[in-house]
Amino acid sequence: MNAAAALGDVAGFHAIFFEEADEHLAAIEAALLRMDQAPPVADDLNAIFRAAHSIKGTSGMLGFTEIASITHVMENLLDLLRANEREVTRRDIDALLHAGDLVRMQVAFRRGTLSETPDITAARAELLALASAGEAATAAGRRFSVQLGPLAAAVEDAELEMMLSGLAEMGRVQNRVIRNEAGGEICFDVSLSGTGADLKSVLTLVVPPEQVRIEQADALGPQADQPGVVIALANHEPAIEEVALARETEGRCVPDAALELFVTPEAWRKRRTTDKAPEASASQVQRAGRRATDEAVGAMENESRREAERQAALAQSESTSIRVSVEKIDRLVNLVGELVITEAMLAQQAGAANDGGLAGIGDLARHTRNLQEAVMSIRMVPISAVFTRFPRLVRELSQRLGKDVELKVSGETTELDRGLIEGITDPLTHLVRNSIDHGLEVPEFRAAAGKPRCGTISLSASQRGSNIVIRIHDDGRGLDRARILARAAERGMPVSDEMSDDEAWQLIFEPGFSTAESVTDVSGRGVGMDVVRRNIQMLRGTVELASRAGAGTTVTVSVPLTLAIIEAMTVTAGPETYVLPLAAVIESRRVGASEIRAIAGRGRTLRVRDEYLPVLRLADMFPSRKESARGDGIVVIVESDGTRAALLVDQLVGQQQVVVKSLDANFRRVAGIAGATIMGDGKVALILDTAHIIGNAQIATGRAYA
Amino acid sequence: MSKSILVVDDTRSMRKMVATVLQGAGYTVSEAADGAQALEMAKTRVYDLVVTDHNMPRMDGVTLVRSLREIEEYNGVALIVLSTETGPDLKAKGRAAGATGWMAKPFDPTRMLDIVRQFVA
Repeated sequence: MNAAAALGDVAGFHAIFFEEADEHLAAIEAALLRMDQAPPVADDLNAIFRAAHSIKGTSGMLGFTEIASITHVMENLLDLLRANEREVTRRDIDALLHAGDLVRMQVAFRRGTLSETPDITAARAELLALASAGEAATAAGRRFSVQLGPLAAAVEDAELEMMLSGLAEMGRVQNRVIRNEAGGEICFDVSLSGTGADLKSVLTLVVPPEQVRIEQADALGPQADQPGVVIALANHEPAIEEVALARETEGRCVPDAALELFVTPEAWRKRRTTDKAPEASASQVQRAGRRATDEAVGAMENESRREAERQAALAQSESTSIRVSVEKIDRLVNLVGELVITEAMLAQQAGAANDGGLAGIGDLARHTRNLQEAVMSIRMVPISAVFTRFPRLVRELSQRLGKDVELKVSGETTELDRGLIEGITDPLTHLVRNSIDHGLEVPEFRAAAGKPRCGTISLSASQRGSNIVIRIHDDGRGLDRARILARAAERGMPVSDEMSDDEAWQLIFEPGFSTAESVTDVSGRGVGMDVVRRNIQMLRGTVELASRAGAGTTVTVSVPLTLAIIEAMTVTAGPETYVLPLAAVIESRRVGASEIRAIAGRGRTLRVRDEYLPVLRLADMFPSRKESARGDGIVVIVESDGTRAALLVDQLVGQQQVVVKSLDANFRRVAGIAGATIMGDGKVALILDTAHIIGNAQIATGRAYA
Repeated sequence: MSKSILVVDDTRSMRKMVATVLQGAGYTVSEAADGAQALEMAKTRVYDLVVTDHNMPRMDGVTLVRSLREIEEYNGVALIVLSTETGPDLKAKGRAAGATGWMAKPFDPTRMLDIVRQFVA
């Protein structure tokens, strides 16, 4: 039978493996970064080893030879470090992190999300070099192949064990094959510092000299590093041939790495027929089991208790949670969205009919709301999903820039909608990069300024109402007001020395603004704070800056918990109903036609507290086929990017939560429209994109930098 | 009734692969994610054969083998360790603990079935 046939559909295992590999790689990276900060603990080394080990095992089965090969050499190095053979160096951590990256890329390649297979040769060589650096100190260069036999009689087990463990203490015993019986052979390879004569003198303690054959092999060759025979399912037969070939060419007992039986099948069968276990009661089984458990627990006590507890907690969480595809959850969210809308329609109809028989509608409303909350909570993931990438980023950037940086993270369990994770990752990454690159000073400069040499970046997340607030703080040099103003002037932006700090900081968010004197390869690659702000705004969030010269900078990003539901103000213009995100609304009030004045070059404006705001008439922006009433109206003052505009509408309908439906997905992208929602009466209302509308107003009135 | 086999591995994909191979040959397969869980399961029923990984959280494979051998009913049950680790010292430990055989990962499904067939109680 062919291996692939025995396994059935191999592709089915790929998905499980990819998911598993992602988890293992994240665990490896987190543990490595912990080791980078503090001396390694056995727990972390064991966890990394086990993760690499798991990946290696499955990738070998699936024929992902590059992955198996690199995880194998990772394991070699980890084994060495685990055995405390030498200190863990920064180079070890670098090499292991890099190897982890390559595994991740290899996984991406196998997944089909990466078109080229990444080259692992260099990384593999580095790991091998590191692993052998430790070995050279402990094991020595001579390698011998030993063959004892044919044996006149079986050697006593205890004696044999003693001899082998004695040799293992002197060097390293590998590839052991033992057929300890009359006529049998004992074969193994051993590397040690002594001579062949030394070795023989040890062996003859157990076996008569005429049965001892020793061959000196090359000094520790590449053989020691081979990942064993990888049986690729996709390429099964040749692998088996290799084994057979290896057996033939060496022409004597070659260790069968794939299988070693401690009992022969014949002996097993004989034993089973002669001493058939007596039937035992269930209580006996349990008693024996308990005894075994006690002993096993006792044995574990020597190892780290903490590890056991952590793993138990992990197993606990595994058994109380299930994996569900994101697709299913999204569908659930959509269906609940529909339910919320239906409920609102029913409530409205019941209200209109004033029907006492529909008293249950209140309960329906309550249950629907609870259901909606429960369903939304499924989509919530901890922000640690984003934060976990930063330790690595900080480590690498600080090394590259020659800065000492400590990263402090808090509130990583704060949850937000998984739909936001993707959108927020890039802007946050950019902000952290900025802090390290532009914010923090080099150690010498810090020391001269009387600050600790090591800079601190703190990253924190917390929930405030229906928003998630993320703060990125650095204790660096702070924003340089003079430089910002100079740069802005250079760029032709309207600036003045009287500008408040806040106004000055706002300049940073303008497109094309960058103060970095030289364009470093870290940040300042033309992608600036304007992109950060735009990305955050796309999530209906805000960015704020606070800074003190010499003391540091704080960037505060606030995004809604979820993108699926928003607090909204509904307004009408003519026959149409529009929805404004409440976050963008400053105030609303009635205006008389006389208050709106045309100013030359600025169009129609409304004076609100000494500020002339451009007036935009909603009915003009989205002309309806039916004519709407003109004249007095209501203005809603909206704000985006710190710029305000007055939106002229016919009526305010009210405030409510609306379920956001994507217009892109259901129709197509429309400028000025952020999405759509279905109102209580079943009609579709468009959700306005305030940032776009205000941006248009600025262009129209030529106040691009107001 | 088909023979029952307990497959122990903390790596889900590996566990599934072993299970698939064995199920394909008509065995009834139960799965455990580590030695401790396997031991709990083994206390409630006697499996006809156990295939276990070595390096696992909570309780490793060799400890599991040793613990199972403490249970009288498991005297006649073949316990096969399936591990990527094939160091002689570790194998010796497995042997001393009472393992029936030591198979290396990646494994050849055909070979595994061959061994299982010979040793299943």
